[in-house]
Amino acid sequence: MNETGGSVDVLGVGKTYGQAVALDDVTLHVEPGEFMTLLGSSGSGKSTLLNVVAGFTRPTSGSVTVDGRDITHDPPYKRDLGMVFQHYALFPHMSVAENVAFPLRRRRVRGAELTRRVDEALDVVELGGLRDRRPAQLSGGQQQRVALARAIVFRPRVLLMDEPLGALDKRLREQLQLEIKRLHTELGITFVFVTHDQDEALTMSDRIALLRDGRVVQVGTPADLYDRPASRYVAEFLGESNLLPAANDSEALLVRPQDVRLSRPGADLPAGDHAHDGKVTEVIYLGSGLRVEVELRSGGRLIARTGTRLDPVPRPDDEVVVHWRQQDCVTVPA
Amino acid sequence: MTGEAVTGRRLPDGWGFLVLPLVAFLLVVFVHPLISVLARSLSDPEPGLGNYAAFFDSPVYLDVLVNTFVVAGLVTLVTLVLGFPYAYLMTLATPFWRGVLMAAVLVPFWTSLLVRTFAWVLILRDTGVVNEVIGALGGQPVPLLRNLAGVLIGMVQVMLPFAVLPIYATMRGVDRRLLQAAEGLGARPAFAFWRVYAPLTLPGVAAATLLVFVSSLGFYVTPALLGGPQNVMIGELIVQQLSGVLRWGFASALAVILLVVTGVLLLLAARVVDLRRMIGGGR
Ligand SMILES: Nc1ncnc2c1ncn2[C@@H]1O[C@H](COP(=O)(O)OP(=O)(O)OP(=O)(O)O)[C@@H](O)[C@H]1O
Ligand SMILES: [Mg+2]
Repeated sequence: MNETGGSVDVLGVGKTYGQAVALDDVTLHVEPGEFMTLLGSSGSGKSTLLNVVAGFTRPTSGSVTVDGRDITHDPPYKRDLGMVFQHYALFPHMSVAENVAFPLRRRRVRGAELTRRVDEALDVVELGGLRDRRPAQLSGGQQQRVALARAIVFRPRVLLMDEPLGALDKRLREQLQLEIKRLHTELGITFVFVTHDQDEALTMSDRIALLRDGRVVQVGTPADLYDRPASRYVAEFLGESNLLPAANDSEALLVRPQDVRLSRPGADLPAGDHAHDGKVTEVIYLGSGLRVEVELRSGGRLIARTGTRLDPVPRPDDEVVVHWRQQDCVTVPA
Repeated sequence: MTGEAVTGRRLPDGWGFLVLPLVAFLLVVFVHPLISVLARSLSDPEPGLGNYAAFFDSPVYLDVLVNTFVVAGLVTLVTLVLGFPYAYLMTLATPFWRGVLMAAVLVPFWTSLLVRTFAWVLILRDTGVVNEVIGALGGQPVPLLRNLAGVLIGMVQVMLPFAVLPIYATMRGVDRRLLQAAEGLGARPAFAFWRVYAPLTLPGVAAATLLVFVSSLGFYVTPALLGGPQNVMIGELIVQQLSGVLRWGFASALAVILLVVTGVLLLLAARVVDLRRMIGGGR
């Protein structure tokens, strides 16, 4: 993809804390220049995996290589990877510019070159005007931008981020998501990004690795995970899902709420559609649409998301037919 | 900033009289004695600056003043050199060992200064434990009593808690994850410690420096028992003038001189570090 990004390989990495297993035989390949997101619920091992790559955590087994070079036993300061933390970790006694200069000074960059590169990094995150402020004088979003500038100023080939937007409110988070995405395109370096927010993962990533209890349960593009989940767990983790019993017991049928249509009983349905009778139990107005919950006559519940301009607008206790196109449902191993 | 919030806090209107007992207390036990000391230094045995002239006329007295500051400076230095790593160790220790370390600095704090100083006499004298061990190892006895070494050992032990406590308090508030971040950015652990961790402990170090230095200036028992004739500190001189030769006016002048010089030094220090922030307990 791009020449400046490094490839990262995690090979059979395990990490135990006493009896507790934080990582269980994790193998993951990250392409040069790729935006890879580690997604999973709290305690699934995302931070542990990222810290193993960064060198802050020593794995119990397995190895880590960057561009084919084994770095498993290198201390963090020799790894040359950029790192951004959820808690920013800015040095409170240094100005914004001094914070950003820190990694450069360690690499013996001096004088005009130092100033130029600090300014350049601050411009990239659009903070040029704040170079003499102290971290305590910045907002959360600004602090995280400084942390970003500090992590990219020495041009690492890989940038690691552990829930960098976790401490920010929703609007700011969405704005910074786009900025980080832009940064990724501009710099062309490899990003490994940790989040427990599935929307964030879907919006930002080239590929997502979904972790559960210290194992990788699926790796793939957002569309792979969303449309072709490898298991029931993946289907339910990403977005809202309807899982219905399939022909055999070891599988389930997945249909996403936005693919479910509602019709009146007796209406003509498109040929080939799957259809079930049911009764509306709840209707929620969301602005962008309606979320309709239907109790199926065959048992079970199902969620449909529809536009607001349905005629007539469904109400609780209405008898309806729910249906969807054959190609909109997939079988998922249970 | 917290400092401003603290100084900006005010009593609600009409409740100002609540500070009156405090003001009265300070007037009686602090301001009144100070003024009477000053008055006596200017009036006993006769009105005028005679006592001060006597001080500045004799190099012996000036030497004592200089020696007092040299000893206080050395004590401060040694105390910081020992106290800083000690406090750092406390931040790293498990709760149990932290308790042990804390008790180890505090227990001497609760025992009488006089008892402790006599204990040092027993330990440090030529036939004491230290020299017995040195002798058993085949070395010559080292004179540790009636000299500067004795004074330093005795005073440093007394002052150690005053350095350890403020430094430890500051260190506890420093985010250790910053060290990790620094290492991630390419800093070796030692570099990360000195460039990131140590500067953040400066408020505590400054507080410890002032506390130890100023307290050391007024020491009397320890230098009297452990020091020799070359290490007389001004506190000893004052006692000697008071109870030995009964020159109360001169003793008062000595006290005033110590107070003024200390005050000037504090003012100079205040130009360098923010005293108010330090004493106010802000970060
Ligand atoms: N230092 C430690 N000692 C003991 N157990 C630990 C330690 N660090 C992590 N763990 C355990 O390892 C598991 C994975 O932790 P990790 O921090 O990687 O989770 P995470 O996916 O980052 O979760 P979150 O979203 O809450 O940050 C958890 O069960 C956690 O309790
Ligand atoms: Mg985490």
